[in-house]
Formats: sequence, C-alpha cells, structure tokens
Amino acid sequence: MSRPDPIRKSSPDTKKNPLSTEEQLKQREFQDEAIVHINALYNYALHLTLNPHDANDLVQETYLKAYKFFGSFEKGTNCKAWLFKILKNNYINRYRKNAREPGKVDYDLIKDFYHTIKDTRRDSTETETDYFHSLLHEEVYMAMQSLPEEFREVIQLCDIEGFTYEEIANMVESPIGTVRSRLYRGRKLLRVQLEEYAKKFGFNTEKDR
Amino acid sequence: MKCDKARELMSAAVDGELTNRENQAFTLHLQECPACTAEFEEAKKTKQIIQEKIVRFKAPQSLINSIMELSLSGTKEPSDSPMID
Repeated sequence: MSRPDPIRKSSPDTKKNPLSTEEQLKQREFQDEAIVHINALYNYALHLTLNPHDANDLVQETYLKAYKFFGSFEKGTNCKAWLFKILKNNYINRYRKNAREPGKVDYDLIKDFYHTIKDTRRDSTETETDYFHSLLHEEVYMAMQSLPEEFREVIQLCDIEGFTYEEIANMVESPIGTVRSRLYRGRKLLRVQLEEYAKKFGFNTEKDR
Repeated sequence: MKCDKARELMSAAVDGELTNRENQAFTLHLQECPACTAEFEEAKKTKQIIQEKIVRFKAPQSLINSIMELSLSGTKEPSDSPMID
C-alpha cells in the first residue's frame, strides 16, 4: 500500500540533493512572495541613493537579508512592506558606515541620471496649458529630491508605492498622526517647488529655449 | 469643524484614509470653506502629478538574475562581486 506522497518527509538519504525539501519550499515561496517586488524595491533604492550602482547593491543586500530571515516574515502580511523596511534599514546602515549624509542631494548627478533615461521614457502627451501639466518628469523628480528626507520619504511610500498609513507608520517608526502631518506638509512644500519649476522651465522660458 | 482640524485631516482625505465619521465632518467643512476646498484640490492634484510624472524604472536584468541565483543557492553569502551595469 503506497501512502500519498509525503512531500515534506525527506529521509536522511536524500542528502545528495544539496538543498532540503524544506529549503526548496522556502525558495519557491520566496520567489512568489518577495522577488515579485523587485521593481518597486529598485525604484525605492534609486530614490534613496540616486545612483544605479548603489541601488543595485542595496537591493541585493536587501534580498540576501530577506532570504535569510524569511522564516520570520509573517505570512499574510504585506511582504512588500516588510522588504521596504529591510531596505530602509540597510540604507541607513550603509550611509552611517560611509559617513555620507542622506538628504544631501547632488543635483548634477540626478540630472545626469535623468538624461540617460530620458530618451527611453519620453512622454509626448504634454500639450496642456495647465502649468502642472507642463512639468517634466525630471522636474517632478528634482522637486521631490529637494524635499527634506522625512517628507520625501512618506510621499514616496504613499503616493508612489501605495502603502497604507499604517504600513508607512510601521516603516518609518512613527505614529500615524505623524505620517498624516508629514504628508500634509510635504505635499505643500512640493507644490511650492513644482510651481517654481513650472515658472522657471515651463511657461516663462520660451525665449530661453 | 475648524480649518486647523480640516488641515490636520487633509492628507488622510486625499489618500482615502479618513474614518467615515471624519470624512463626514471634513466634507461638511469643505462645503462652507472655499479656502480649505482649494487646498484640498491642490493637494489631490499634487498627488496625481507625482503618480503620473514619477518615472518607474525596471530593475536591470542582471540584478534580477543575481537575486534569483542568490535565492536558488540557499543562504550562501554572495561574494563581494562587482555589479554589472
């Protein structure tokens, strides 16, 4: 009489396989749950580091850690939020180690970075007269980067990544009320920046072009 | 509701994070306060602009590959390999 295939039961003999059944299961789950968020993590890392090379490293470190500690990930909770939190911690450690100051923005670097991708992602639908619509991706990006980190961060997590306030509060280790007010103030600051960019590069620059 | 309370709720209103009760009070306030209504509209627009204009990048294939490998090789620590651009 043969028993139904007991997937989880592996005899000591199966050691030939370098990975245990359990490990294989973990891998599969990790791929389904965690690796699907790689684009979001990469974007977040880019926003934090402003450097594709650093972003690569950061995402890789994040996944390495996430894999190691995947056992402690609570199933049913938001895996993307969990990964973001790991990435954020990695980022903080890295900056502390390198004694670089987060928040200090190298505008030339951002510009260069943007120009390298601009051609591939051109939006040709910007014909509206509304000054907001005259803004280019680069300007919005620059305006975002000009915000103090605490504001930029919540805007990124909320507007770009679509996390709930509760998830954001957990990620930035602050109460929800703080998240609310940072979003409020951050958006206000951003609006001022965007208007300035629009004025500078949009409407009043016809003769400069 | 006063304007300062409405401002406190502004971002949560934009993001659909208000409770029913807060939402009712907030909506009532907007009906009688053009200044907060204008600010609310601006805030919604700012959010929309960010969502529309922020470029989303795709992770480079080399990065995806190395992470797939990493998870396939178990918990082995990757060497300090130089990243491929």
